[in-house]
Amino acid sequence: MAFLRALRTGLGVALCLSAISCGGGGGGGGGASGTSTIPPPPPAPTVNTTSVIVDQGPTVNGSAIGSINTLFTSVTVCVPGSTTSCQTIDHIQVDTGSYGLRLLSSVLTLTLPVQTLSSGASLVECTQFVDGYSWGPVALADLTIAGETAKSLPVQVIGDPRFTNIPTECSSTGGTQEDTVTTFGANGIMGIGPFALDCGDCDTTTNGLYFACATSCTDTTVPDAMQVANPVTLFAADNNGTIIDLPAVAAAGAVTLSGSLIFGIDTQSDNKSGTQTVLTVDGMAELSMTFNGQTLANSFIDSGSNGIFFADSSIVTCTNSQISTFYCPANTLTVGPLSIQGTNGAMVNNLTFSVGNTETIISTAPTDTYSVLPQLAGTLPAGNAGSFDYGLAFFYGKRVAVAVQGSMTSVGTGPYIAF
Amino acid sequence: MPLFRSGEFRIAALSGALLMAALGPRIACATLGEPEITVQSDVTQLRASIKSSEDRAGYRVHEIQLPGSTLLREFVAPNGNVFAVAWNGPTKPNLRQALGKYFDTYAAAPRPKFVDRRHMNIQQGDLIVQGSGHMRALSGRAYLASALPSGFNLGDLH
Repeated sequence: MAFLRALRTGLGVALCLSAISCGGGGGGGGGASGTSTIPPPPPAPTVNTTSVIVDQGPTVNGSAIGSINTLFTSVTVCVPGSTTSCQTIDHIQVDTGSYGLRLLSSVLTLTLPVQTLSSGASLVECTQFVDGYSWGPVALADLTIAGETAKSLPVQVIGDPRFTNIPTECSSTGGTQEDTVTTFGANGIMGIGPFALDCGDCDTTTNGLYFACATSCTDTTVPDAMQVANPVTLFAADNNGTIIDLPAVAAAGAVTLSGSLIFGIDTQSDNKSGTQTVLTVDGMAELSMTFNGQTLANSFIDSGSNGIFFADSSIVTCTNSQISTFYCPANTLTVGPLSIQGTNGAMVNNLTFSVGNTETIISTAPTDTYSVLPQLAGTLPAGNAGSFDYGLAFFYGKRVAVAVQGSMTSVGTGPYIAF
Repeated sequence: MPLFRSGEFRIAALSGALLMAALGPRIACATLGEPEITVQSDVTQLRASIKSSEDRAGYRVHEIQLPGSTLLREFVAPNGNVFAVAWNGPTKPNLRQALGKYFDTYAAAPRPKFVDRRHMNIQQGDLIVQGSGHMRALSGRAYLASALPSGFNLGDLH
């Protein structure tokens, strides 16, 4: 319900804005001057803002799945070219750490056309995540979000009953098969990281992501235009990046948190760059962070990570085996300083953050019902001492811009993150 | 090979080296918990090539270039067995191949709380499988806790 409320509020704001811009030309003129021609009103700008929310996640079998620190929005998808075969889907995760729109087949009521390769085989993807994989065809859809539209966008339909034979090559990458709302943790995901495609070299290299499926499935190369793409890059305008704008939250957290997802950077009055620091990211969308005297070259800021993850052997981890990789200090710790450096040399210094006791947070009222938990932090494997993963908590109370590779804004050229 | 301490390891290493010479750039990895020299069955499976082999104090690391740009590293103990594997790149390696008989244990492990597709930390008896990263940059490692050579620093396992 909170989500619907937020959505309604967002729509209300959008309607007000367009009413203002349309009405602006009409004031002031006298009604009597019959000879003057009234200039046509300027076209209303594309509505480029939609609402986002951190809440308990999609409903499965009557109850929310219990998401934490996960940012969601709604999208409308249509069968390409149709204005009637359309569906609005809520609880699509907003993820700056991936690329492309993926929808869970179980919530999709439309039949989206699957792309076929020149051989006639269907294009199916094995999307790889750290802890598992998602299997499903790459179909086409017209996406509408806010006032933006991406026509014939290649999207993945995860868990599509038309493609149930998962090749061993895919399942052998291991982990959980994430093909249901519960195992995936959302009704879908919209990857809006700083690159255009979900694979850097799949047009020339077979590497286990894309498959040509006829009677059986074979690892294949794919032309870029057929690959699952960051939808923002296919908008007609406002296509150079995104801004996630979330309000600050109390230290202990909150039940929900609502904010905005704004498309485009320096394309409209509501997405202008200001005095923020622009940090260029490397070819893996990563930054260098310095923490506890160590330089961590493979670090990243990621709306799709649900905690703050770093290695610090001085902070005690939880004894509960289900959360044994999360931190459980006796008292909330203030940790830092953390500095973040882009490949352009720009730096943000002296950041600090709080690390709470995860066991207490999740088992004690009122935080046990919160989906916004800014103090949730966990370990990275010791072998990954070269990384710091600053998740959605980084975005709380900030306006964070992500510019897509090769696109220009008034303050730089993507790929960058700015805040 | 001045860093090899035990005679047994020297023999195993020599066998491995001979096999590598025989297989040339087509050599792939051995499998977790298996002897270093049992690589032949893996060669065609992974379509890989060995990039480097480095002798470190008390163990040896083979770095294997998989198709695409993912790297797989295999850690060989003085007894000649693979005690750990680690990977990083845009895709994961074929873990059924790399983990061998431990793959099913790994695949059957229950998921912890708060999954976000960015982290993995599985402990099933002696087997530990961990991972982190994000799309286009995935890393992970798997090892047998009881098989770590004495004095081995887990921080070097990546």
